[in-house]
Amino acid sequence: MKSKFILFALVAIGSLFVGSAFAQSYAVTNARIVTVSGENIEKGSIVIRDGLIEAVGANAKVPADARIFDGSGLTVYPGLIDSLTSVGISAPAPRSQAGGPQPQAPPAATSNSNYAEGLRPEDMTINDLKAGEAQFEAIRNAGFTTVLTVGRNGIFNGQSAVINLAGDSVSAMVVKSPFAQHITFTTLRGFGYPNSLLGTFSALRQMMLDAQRLQDLQKMYDANPKGMKRPDDDKSLEALFPVLNGSMPVVLNANSENEIVRALDLAKEFKLKAIIAGGQEAWKVADRLKAQNVPVLLSLNFPKRTASASPEADPESLETLRLRAETPKTAAKLANAGVNFAFQTGGGTTSDFFANASKSVENGLAKDAAIRAMTLNAAQILGLSDRLGTIETGKIANLTVVRGDILGKEKTITHVFVDGKLFEQKEPPKKPATPSGGTPTAQPAVANVGGNYTISIDIPGQSLTGTMALTQQGAVLTGTLQTQLGTSPIKDGKVTAEGFSYSSTVEYGGTTFDIFVKGTVTGNQISGTIDSPQGTIPFSGTKNP
Amino acid sequence: MRKLFVFLLMISIVSISPAIVFAQSKTEVLVKNATVMTAAKGTLENTDILIQNGKITKIGKNLKAAANAQIFDASGKFVTPGIVDAHSHTMLDAINEGSFSVTSMTNVRDVLNPHDIAIYRALAGGVTSANLLHGSANSIGGQNSTVKFKYGKPVEDFVIADAPPGIKFAMGENVKRSNFQIQGQTPRYPRTRMGVVETMRDAFLRAKDYKQAWDDYKAKKTKVPPRKDLELEPLVEILEGKRLVHAHGYRSDEHLNLLLLADEFGFKVATLQHGLEAYKIAPEIAKRGTGVSIFADYWGYKLEAYDAIPYNAAILWKNGVLVSINSDSDERMRRLNIDAAKVMKYGNVPEEEALKMITFNPAKQLGIDKRTGSIEVGKDADLVIWSEHPFSPYARVETTMIEGEVYFDRNKDIAKRAELEKERTELEKLDANKAPGSGGTPPKVPGEKRIADRDDADQTDGGNR
Repeated sequence: MKSKFILFALVAIGSLFVGSAFAQSYAVTNARIVTVSGENIEKGSIVIRDGLIEAVGANAKVPADARIFDGSGLTVYPGLIDSLTSVGISAPAPRSQAGGPQPQAPPAATSNSNYAEGLRPEDMTINDLKAGEAQFEAIRNAGFTTVLTVGRNGIFNGQSAVINLAGDSVSAMVVKSPFAQHITFTTLRGFGYPNSLLGTFSALRQMMLDAQRLQDLQKMYDANPKGMKRPDDDKSLEALFPVLNGSMPVVLNANSENEIVRALDLAKEFKLKAIIAGGQEAWKVADRLKAQNVPVLLSLNFPKRTASASPEADPESLETLRLRAETPKTAAKLANAGVNFAFQTGGGTTSDFFANASKSVENGLAKDAAIRAMTLNAAQILGLSDRLGTIETGKIANLTVVRGDILGKEKTITHVFVDGKLFEQKEPPKKPATPSGGTPTAQPAVANVGGNYTISIDIPGQSLTGTMALTQQGAVLTGTLQTQLGTSPIKDGKVTAEGFSYSSTVEYGGTTFDIFVKGTVTGNQISGTIDSPQGTIPFSGTKNP
Repeated sequence: MRKLFVFLLMISIVSISPAIVFAQSKTEVLVKNATVMTAAKGTLENTDILIQNGKITKIGKNLKAAANAQIFDASGKFVTPGIVDAHSHTMLDAINEGSFSVTSMTNVRDVLNPHDIAIYRALAGGVTSANLLHGSANSIGGQNSTVKFKYGKPVEDFVIADAPPGIKFAMGENVKRSNFQIQGQTPRYPRTRMGVVETMRDAFLRAKDYKQAWDDYKAKKTKVPPRKDLELEPLVEILEGKRLVHAHGYRSDEHLNLLLLADEFGFKVATLQHGLEAYKIAPEIAKRGTGVSIFADYWGYKLEAYDAIPYNAAILWKNGVLVSINSDSDERMRRLNIDAAKVMKYGNVPEEEALKMITFNPAKQLGIDKRTGSIEVGKDADLVIWSEHPFSPYARVETTMIEGEVYFDRNKDIAKRAELEKERTELEKLDANKAPGSGGTPPKVPGEKRIADRDDADQTDGGNR
């Protein structure tokens, strides 16, 4: 056991050394290659040099200087693309309390925009991106090499970026920025306009019209400034020019049939180059999606029942029951209708991504179509199919190497190449090993964390208060977290010498998110973090007397 | 007991889904041998109605239809025009944009939900058309949608394309926010009834300036095109007589204020909505050709709703005011026929006039009377077949059709229930629909039922009425 670990460490250090010093070239040989661009190669080689695919084929010549991997028993796919995430965006500093009109601009997001926060299409995701392994390791280990990433605040979420999941700097990671403007049909925080869905649409419409006008006036003024009042230099409206001119796509977050129809109507009204994200009920409007040539970034965060059984509860509506039954069929129906789509995690976990992709296949989606939805289709929708999405000579060397079936239950991502950089996976432990190597010893001392705590959670933009009720029995933790969003019971709660951790799910905006909570208790003070697909959120509080 | 019955009825209707809409192709339809209450030309016994391409083409005895025509034998049954509800918030995913007191830029068309189960329940009560209004939180609220309840069709099919556009106005307690405080929100202008009128006047003055700016530009007096302002455009349409004003209010002094404001700016108010005190100023309303859309006998739920009398409809009608009876409620919408019957009791309004108050009159108020609201040749075949006289509390809707297509059929509904139960049983077996083995989130247990007469229930409606 120990010796195997040392071997691993040596390999890892070795590859790091090679990687940083000379490794311009790799070759994967004897592997099954799913090129996506053409036929699968049952046994072939891929040569990587300078971050690009130099050669691929059954008889591709392996250069002498390449570091060679024997790919026997492995399958190589184009690097997987998660077509919508918020990966790499650090949670912005807490803003002012919700409520009341917008006070002075918060220090973290100073802006001289004429528009309230949430109506600022000029916001650039790339400005919020942080490089660094901590941000990307988990999703890359799951097999993803590339993501589309954008924040999820406000009506205009801002301009997204496509990034490769490796690099010491944001500039090196970016494949395309900006990619698209992102819109969510939501309301602004507080009581300002718009605070209802009615106002959301009229505010969007007015801004689009104002942007069209500003663009016209600026052209007039540039042509002849004499005798004409100088038009505003309004960066919020100016950020909409490429959207209105059709040079920048607009990703509209829409899951229900109603939302998708509204998104398509808006796209038609302003001739937007629209992309639907979410698309849970997209199959119901597949004909319109096809007719308007609108692709879908389809969420693989499928709805499932989270509520426990209760004799007091009303039976769930047929609508809800049907939705959960129908969602896994969406991908196949879109494929049959000729609607272009790519998969995204949709705020769910990467394991749900693969499990539900495979569920989509069980429900009629061709397997190669499922693979395309995480490779080439995504690259096409992101406008990057000339450099990503297939294994072809000259393309970016993003590769995902798998032992087993990528859509099967038993699979291991063994290697991931991002921009030609190798990331080797640690084999998952076969069984959860006990610390002492099998012989259970005395229980380690654990912290004392039980009790009820009033906590405040610093969600970007608002402070959410709640009650964390922790019941401790030795190293086992049970209880609930209660907030305005509802009550989330503690799952897999553990107490260690340092503190506690547990996982849970919260429902927000109709979607279920998995969260992971860890924290410490000192005296009557509690503090820690909540990890969610949207980012990491700190919380703190005190024990109730 | 009655409550229990209503509850059971609601539950049974809950389970009906959009999947069962009994639509058929637009071939000929013949309704045979009915007592036809035309709401225009009296009641006709043993009469047939022939429908071709969704329109009523013949009304008479022993009519012949094509061999493949769909036949409804209505012997011993009553047929009325589809009910028109001149005040509803059904189908709306958002009702109030409560930020500003003038939100004429909003339009309920943007937030229509064609899957709202309340639509199906309304059809089961004989309603075929409705005026979907923004809420009453603002002096000038959002633009309306006039729809037919074509449940199961895409949302664009609901909207009556040739209905004149409208807009919601509101005065009184909801606008000045007398009865509720929004936690954390800075109090909003206007806070008094005089402030409400001033807010409206200010908006119209701005609209006039706006129109002037565009007129100047079109006349090439200015070089730069003015900004297209979504708030002021609909107000200009009001001034030009192209948009109907539906004004929520209770007190007669306030209604008069609005009528005088309309005189000042030269437009006509299409309807006073609620108008519980309208009987006090019936001649002033009649003189201006303004309609009134009221509750039959619903009152006392807030201070400004105390001076109501159930004779309101009768007095207005006798003074020549165009009166309709509305629901403003998904629940009351299902039994507007009974509300119409009440105006016969209070003030002896004749039967046909009472029926008109839920059919032809609201259709006129909404400007859709050329299409619907009465049973006449040339009109859309929006018809309801009742088991008994529609003003009987025992009357049930058997069939509701819009433009000759059946959207509610009681027998088919009943027949479908077992099938739906079976579907539910099957769906509940799916993993995704099973409760998690351990540690799930707490299930939603039934909350308190909404009780229409209770003030605190209003809060959840965003302060409408």
